[in-house]
Formats: sequence, structure tokens, C-alpha cells
Amino acid sequence: MRRAYFKNNWIAALVVAPQLLIIFVFFYWPASQAVYWAFTLEQPWGGGNTWVGLDNFRQALGDPVYWQSVTASIIFALSSTVLAMGMALILALFADRQLKGYKIFRIGLIWPYAIAAPAVGLAFRFVFNPNAGLLSFVNKAMPGLWDPTLNGNQALIMVIVAGSWKLISYNFIFFLAALQSIPRSLVEAGAMDGAGVLRRMRDIQLPLLAPTFFFILVINITDSFTDSFGIIDTLTGGGPARATDLMVYKIYSDGFRGFDYSGAATQSIILMVLVIALTFVQFRYIERRVHYT
Amino acid sequence: MIERTPILNVATHLILITGLALLLLPVWIAYVAATHDLQTVNSAPVEIWPGDQLWINVQAAWTQADFGPKFVNTFIVSVGVVVGKITIAAITAFGIVFFNHRLRMAIFWLIFITLMLPLEVRIVPTYAVAANALMPFQTILDWTGMTWLIERASGVRVDLQWNMLNSYTGLILPLIATATGTFLYRQFFLTIPDELVEAAKMDGAGPLRFLWQVLIPLSRTNIAALATIMFVYSWNQYLWPLLIITDRANYGLVVVELGNLVPDAMTTGGGVPNWHIAMAATLMVMIPPILVVIFMQRWFVRGLINTDK
Amino acid sequence: MNIKITTLALLATTGMAGAAAAQTSFEYWYGLSGDLGNVVQETCNRFNASQSEYEIVCVGQDGYEAAVQNTIAAFRANQHPTIVQSFDAGTADLMLSGEFYPVQQMMADYDIEIDWSNYFPGISNYYAAATGELFSMPFNSSTPVYYYNEDMLAAAGIEEAPLTWEGFAEALVAIKDSGVDCPYAYAPSTWIDLEQFSMAHNIPVASNDNGYAGLDSELLFNTTQHVQHMENIQSWINDGYAHIRTAQSGLSARDSFVQGECAIFFSSIADHNTVGKIAPEGLNWEVQMIPVYEGFERHNTVVGGASLWVLSGKTEEEYRGAAAYLSFLATPESEEFWASNTGYIPVTQTGYDALIDKGFYDAAPYAGREIAIRSLTYTAPTNLTRGIRLGGFIQIRSEWTNEVGAALAGQKTMQEALDTAVERGNVILDRFARTYAGKTFP
Repeated sequence: MRRAYFKNNWIAALVVAPQLLIIFVFFYWPASQAVYWAFTLEQPWGGGNTWVGLDNFRQALGDPVYWQSVTASIIFALSSTVLAMGMALILALFADRQLKGYKIFRIGLIWPYAIAAPAVGLAFRFVFNPNAGLLSFVNKAMPGLWDPTLNGNQALIMVIVAGSWKLISYNFIFFLAALQSIPRSLVEAGAMDGAGVLRRMRDIQLPLLAPTFFFILVINITDSFTDSFGIIDTLTGGGPARATDLMVYKIYSDGFRGFDYSGAATQSIILMVLVIALTFVQFRYIERRVHYT
Repeated sequence: MIERTPILNVATHLILITGLALLLLPVWIAYVAATHDLQTVNSAPVEIWPGDQLWINVQAAWTQADFGPKFVNTFIVSVGVVVGKITIAAITAFGIVFFNHRLRMAIFWLIFITLMLPLEVRIVPTYAVAANALMPFQTILDWTGMTWLIERASGVRVDLQWNMLNSYTGLILPLIATATGTFLYRQFFLTIPDELVEAAKMDGAGPLRFLWQVLIPLSRTNIAALATIMFVYSWNQYLWPLLIITDRANYGLVVVELGNLVPDAMTTGGGVPNWHIAMAATLMVMIPPILVVIFMQRWFVRGLINTDK
Repeated sequence: MNIKITTLALLATTGMAGAAAAQTSFEYWYGLSGDLGNVVQETCNRFNASQSEYEIVCVGQDGYEAAVQNTIAAFRANQHPTIVQSFDAGTADLMLSGEFYPVQQMMADYDIEIDWSNYFPGISNYYAAATGELFSMPFNSSTPVYYYNEDMLAAAGIEEAPLTWEGFAEALVAIKDSGVDCPYAYAPSTWIDLEQFSMAHNIPVASNDNGYAGLDSELLFNTTQHVQHMENIQSWINDGYAHIRTAQSGLSARDSFVQGECAIFFSSIADHNTVGKIAPEGLNWEVQMIPVYEGFERHNTVVGGASLWVLSGKTEEEYRGAAAYLSFLATPESEEFWASNTGYIPVTQTGYDALIDKGFYDAAPYAGREIAIRSLTYTAPTNLTRGIRLGGFIQIRSEWTNEVGAALAGQKTMQEALDTAVERGNVILDRFARTYAGKTFP
């Protein structure tokens, strides 16, 4: 690892201060209140609460429906990450080859990220609609084959695809930027050594991509746990029969819609702990394989 | 390209075209929806080919949502977020990568954890903070007895207030707090070879000069990518602006207005599903981020950056 | 353009003119969005134009839940509006917190004459204390009806839209036999299938008179006729007489009806306006009261929609302004304005009578809406048909929806589903009671 540092720690303190200040005021301070609510029964309009200690946690963790939600969230997170990273990587590697018309691809593949949530939800609804959407043709061939309103697994698939869609675009931006900053001389040297395109991809570009890859991995997994609310809301509303009731959606339904502040706070803490644990695992076991220099 | 690989080229094109088609399909559908009238857009099956109502719908959406000032507002906020974010993230990452103090990992994790508690969850207390951003400090002063002390000593009662509701600051600051940028810069900074740092030190350059003259220029592609992402991210903000901006005429943002146009399914009875107008508005709202993306494209291009270190 | 970078001020809410204003400004946060939201804005503009003492600033919050949720956030920071539009299921917490100014008392305090008995009992009871005093001002009220395609029913030999469920079932068979593939577009809805169903049949949803009498309520709907009804619906779906059509599946029940695919769908009367606007030429449709089973005496249905609450912690001028706005809304002109621009029904007897006198309901597009009034006023409210006052009700509704969804997907029987829903719902009620330990509904 790194051995060369600057000595002046005062400057270090100075430069990290602004961000720390902002996150203290806008994250940790409010979050601590939310954490407090997890240990009480909070009345939404203020006016008092009752301390219940770990009761809320016991109730949440003892609820089979909650575990269903956790499982669904994990499946969703892993699947969308794999899908989004895989596709984005392939697209970026090929876009990097700079063949004819590559500028169009470069621009076009980034567009989806620019689209706001209501449009995405609506458009996907039109695509996946079993009665009138594009996939309804499948149903004409074999009736009842595609029905995410009744089939929980299909609903989950639909949500995973919709969730990955935006991530692919996001990942593509970073992968491409990273690939583009690999010095051409390296790639040319490889070519001169007789390595073919695919070989160069595997031996030169991918390893040099590793730091970005790690970044994207962590961000994708975190995001698919914490950011998936909008997609679920427009496409399935958590159904059918809770098949797509992801943890973050449940938190939002219970807290924002159901006014159960304490329950939502409890679930948020559990979610946060889960994501921290996953991230920690990634840092510990995966980052060690990333060669930075 | 260097060698001739016709089959691979065709395959490449095919893959890219398919990827593009898949990714742009929903955009196409939104576009088609914006070109029909009320009855057509609500009929089944979904329309695949555009109609002719685009201009009418666009005009209706523009006036209904009063987009003019809102586009300006959103632009101001997004630029503010971009500038704030790339600056703060850069210096923070710098502080945790290039200095060897014990708190490095702790600080990194402190920042990183902010990604894991979504805004929806902490929105109620965050609003309270936005209503008075100095409240945490006031509370600390109160708890530690400082307020009492200062009042005794000088007769001045400390009452810190900073109301960020209905202001650009309130819209920008909380969005700068996220960890993505810092993490990105950290990844990149870790790839900077030790030799570069040694060389700078031997040249007598202090850390800040190193940051400004060496690191930032090297980070150009990352900055471009981050700026693009952050612009789009803050452009598409919905929940937070909805909450803290009640003076919509002066501070309203576009995507909040968009949410207002999209029919709400919860009302027992619902409104008229003006999807054609909502989608026309969506198309308009999409344009600035896409323009930004197109503009920022150039910075992703190899060759402009001399990365041969 | 003015770029305000920071606002170093005390409690700078918009429109609070510190200096000299002759006008008092106050805020009203409403939840209706889209078209309906625009009409709400219109009512605000009309109020501002009609007098110069007060200015109301109306802010749309993109949905009922967002409206209430944002108000709570603002309330905790003392930045809340004076009036908030809160939907039926969202009021239990507000009621128990006591952080509101009961409108009946407010009007009395400011000497504003309102004839409270003028309000349809089926509406006022939902928002009233046990003593009958109104907490909030009824505003956008609706009640469910079912919409039917006249041509399809006629082709199946049905002369009159059925008022009993038995008749309804027969009608479905007849319609299917006459060649319509989808007689009944069904979308599970607690409001219609559970709550209003129970009201019309005078059967309980929960103990304690549906929660009015105390916080220690328990759900009862897995033991009433409701179970039989849901089982019937399930068998209709299995036999093809009903199809599940939800917005998330792509084509909602209403859209299926409007497209001419399905013959019948259930919804709030407020959809009357929408259907009128998006129905293609040639669709002949009407509405009818929701059916009841034979052997049950039909009772009144109750209101859906939302009402306007005045929150505590505001100044007297703001309260006067709020009172002025609310009484403005209660005038016949305002009611006519609201009823003609939306699908909602008038909330007062005089407002309704005035519209009848004008011939409002004689012709399209408004004809048929009086059916909703009839349903709402069919009988005087009994203990069980005043409404529902349960805590955590939104979560309870979602438990019902999830369980019913599981049953319809074949994962369990309807009885099991409803049993589970009741069990989980009771946990929610118990939690609510513990949160507000020691309090009772005012």
C-alpha cells in the first residue's frame, strides 16, 4: 500500500472539515433522532412518546413478513447489481473501441440516467403490462404466461430489470470514463505484443479498471438497497402479496404513509446495519484484490 | 482501431445497438405518449407510433406547470450542487488519502455511512434542521451550559437561527452531503503512484499545491463524470424540494412540478389522467440533463488528457 | 432575478408580511394533484378575489400522504400551515394529538354562522366527536357507486342495474353468456370491498363501534358477511366472470371499463368526472348504488375523500382568515363551483338542493351523481355506519390488500387470508393503543 504521505496534519483537518460539518448537520443530527425513535413509540404529531427499549426490534425481527422483505431485498440487490454491472461493463468495453458511430452510442447510453422517476415508471409499466403492453404479445402466444400481477417471481424479475435499467446507464458513465483514462500507449503495447482485442480487454483493461469496478460494486449494492423505492412504488406497490415489498419500500409505507415512525425507524436501522455489514465485507475481502498502483 | 477484426466489429455494433435500443425504449414510449391526446393515451394497447399532438401538449404542460422560472431555479440549484460537490469531495478525499493520521478510516466510514440511510427515512428530522440549520449547535451550547455561561458573562442571549426553508441554500447544502463523490475521488487518488508524491515533496511543494497542480488536472475524467452525475441527480430531486419549498412561484423546481402533473392514484376518485401532458412535461424536463451529458461527453474522450505520468 | 443566498431571519415563513400589512396571510396545504389540484387553486384564487382582508396561500403537496407527512414535518419545526387537507384514514393520529382547532368551535368563537345540521350526516359523522361536534370541515367528499355499461347490460337482457349481490351475480353470468369476456373489472380496494360494504350492510369492521368508543379495538371483519363476499368474488374470478384489473397491471379497472372491455367497475363517484372526460364517443354508461346481500337491510354508505383541518399553534388573525376561507367554501356558490369542476358531490343539503333546483343533475355530464347522495343518505347513520376511527388504519388497509392478493393468487383460502389480515391488523391496533396510552378519542 501507499507509503508516501504529506506530514501536515493541520491541513488534513482543514480540508475534511467542511464535509464533516455538513454531514453532521444534515445527516447525523437528524439521523440520531430517527435512531431515538426506534427505541420508543413515537407519536407523529409530537406530544410524547413511550420508551420501549428493544421491543420494536424484537417485533420486527420476529415477524416472518419482515424476513420475507429482507430476502426479497437481498435477491433484488444482488440480481440488479450483477445485471447492471455486467451489461454496463460489456457496453463500455465495446464503446471504448471507438468504432464508427461510437459517439452516438456514447451519448445514447447515458440518456436513461437523465430521466426522472415518473417517466421511467410509466414507461416500464407500458412495457411490462400483461394486458396491453409490449409483453402482452407473449401472453397472446401462451395465455397467462406473463402476469406479474399474480406471479410474485415475475413481479420481482420485472422490478429487477427496471431497477437495473437506470444503474446500467450510471455504471456505463464511470466504466467508460475509467477506460478512457487508460493510456493508449499501454493498449498499443499490448497489441504490438500480439494480444487480440479480447485478450487486451481481459489482461490490460479489466485489471486497470479494478478501482472503478470496486466503486461501482459498492455503490450499486448500496443503491439497490436504499434507492429502489420509486421503482417499486410505480410498478408493483409492493405486491403481489408482498413479493416485491423491499425493505426500503416497507420503511416508506410504514413511516411515510402509515405514520408508524417508530416502526420505520427500527426497520431503517436494521437496513443500515445490513448494508454496512455488506459494505464492510466488500471492503475487507474484495478491496484487497484491487491493485491501485 | 489498431487491427482489422471485422467479425468482432460487427458483434460490437450489434451489442451496442441492442443495448441502446433496450435502454432507450422507455424514452421512446414516453415520447409517443406525449404526442397523443387524452383519449388515445389512455387507450389500450399502448401506442407505439407517435401522433401529432406534441406541440399542443408541450404548450399545455409549459403553461400549466409554469416551467419558465422553475427551469432557471433548478439550473441554479444543480450548478450549485455540482460545484459544491466536486470541490468538497475532492478536498475531503485528499485529506484522507494523502495524510497518515489515525482517523483516516474513521472519517471515511463516517462519510460513507451517509449513503445507507435514505432521505425518506430521516426526512422529518432533516426538515427540522433545515428550518434552523444552527439548531444542533444551539442545542450543544444549551446542553453544555454554554448558553447560560455566555448570558451570565456578557448579558447576550445566544439564539442561533438560520432558516433555510424556501432558499437555494436549503436546496443545495443537504445534497452536497452525500458520499459518492468522496468515494470516487478516493478510488482515484489511491491509484496515484507514490513517486508522484515524493517528487512533489522533493520539489518543495506543499500539500495544497500538490492538490491544485497535480491531482486536480489528473482527475479530469473523474470530475467530468462526477459533475454529470451530480447535475442529473440534483436536477431530478423530488422529495426534498417538495417538502422545503412552499413558495413554488419563486423557488419551485421542475421535477416537483412534474410530480404535480402526474395523476395521483391515491385519491378516492382520482383526477383525470393527463398522461399526455405529463409525458410532454417529462420530455421537456429531460432535455437539460441530456444537453449537459452531451456537453460533458468531450471530457470523457481519451487524448485530451495526458495520463502518461 | 433575486438570488437569496441565506435567510438570516426568525421564522421566515412565506407571505408573513412583518411590516404593516393590512392583509393577513395564511397557508393551506392540500393533497390533491393534477387537475383536481388546479381546481383547489381556483377556490383559493376565488377566495382571495372575493375579499381583501385575508390572503390564502395554497400549496399543493402532490398527494394526500405527502400533504399530511410534510405537514407533520413542518409542525415539528413550527413552520406548519394553518389549514391542511387530510384524508380519512390519516386523521386518527391528528385527533389523538389534539393539535387542532375544532372547526365547529372555531366558527363559534369568531361568530360565524354555520348551520352544522345542514351537512349530510353520512359525511359529518366521520369527522365529528362523539358529541357530534365537527372537528374538521368536510370538503371533497365522495362515496362509492358502480359504473355499468348500459348497452352491455341491455344486450344481456338486464333491465335494471341490480341492487342485490345475488342479482349482481346473475347479471354477471348473463353478461358473460351474451359474449362479453369481462363482465366485472375488479380491483381490490379496502375502501369499497371492506369499509363501504360493511357500512351498507350495517355490520362492523372492528369492535368499539368501529373504533369510535375506545382505543382497545379489535378487527372483526373475518367473522362477518365480508368473508362470504370476498369468497364470492374469488369464485367469480375463478369462473371468469370477473377479471382483476389494477393500475399496476397496466390497465386499471376504470380504463378497462372506458375502453369497452369490461361491463362493470366499482369506484368512487368522483370518478364520474374522469370517466365522462376520457370515455370515447358511443359509450353509454350509468351509475348505481353498491349492492347489498339479501337478508340485510340497506344502510347509508359513508364518505371518502378528505376534509380540512385547522392546526394549532397559529395566531388569531390566521385563524380568522382560515374561518373566513372555510365559510367561503360552505356557500352554495362554492359548492356549485366544486361540484361542477370535479366529480365530487356537495356536502350540504342546501347545496345539494340548490343544484337540484338548477337542474344540475338533469343532464350529462352531471346526471347520475345524485345516486351517490342517495347512497350517502339512505338511512340516518347508526353506531356502525358513522365511519371508521382506527389507528394505523393505512397499514391495516395494506395488510388486507396483501392478504387478499395472496388469496386471489391462490396461495391461501380467503378465510385464511382474512384471518391473517385481522391478526396482523390487531397487532397494529395494539401498537397504536400503546403509543397513545392513556388517551381517548375526543
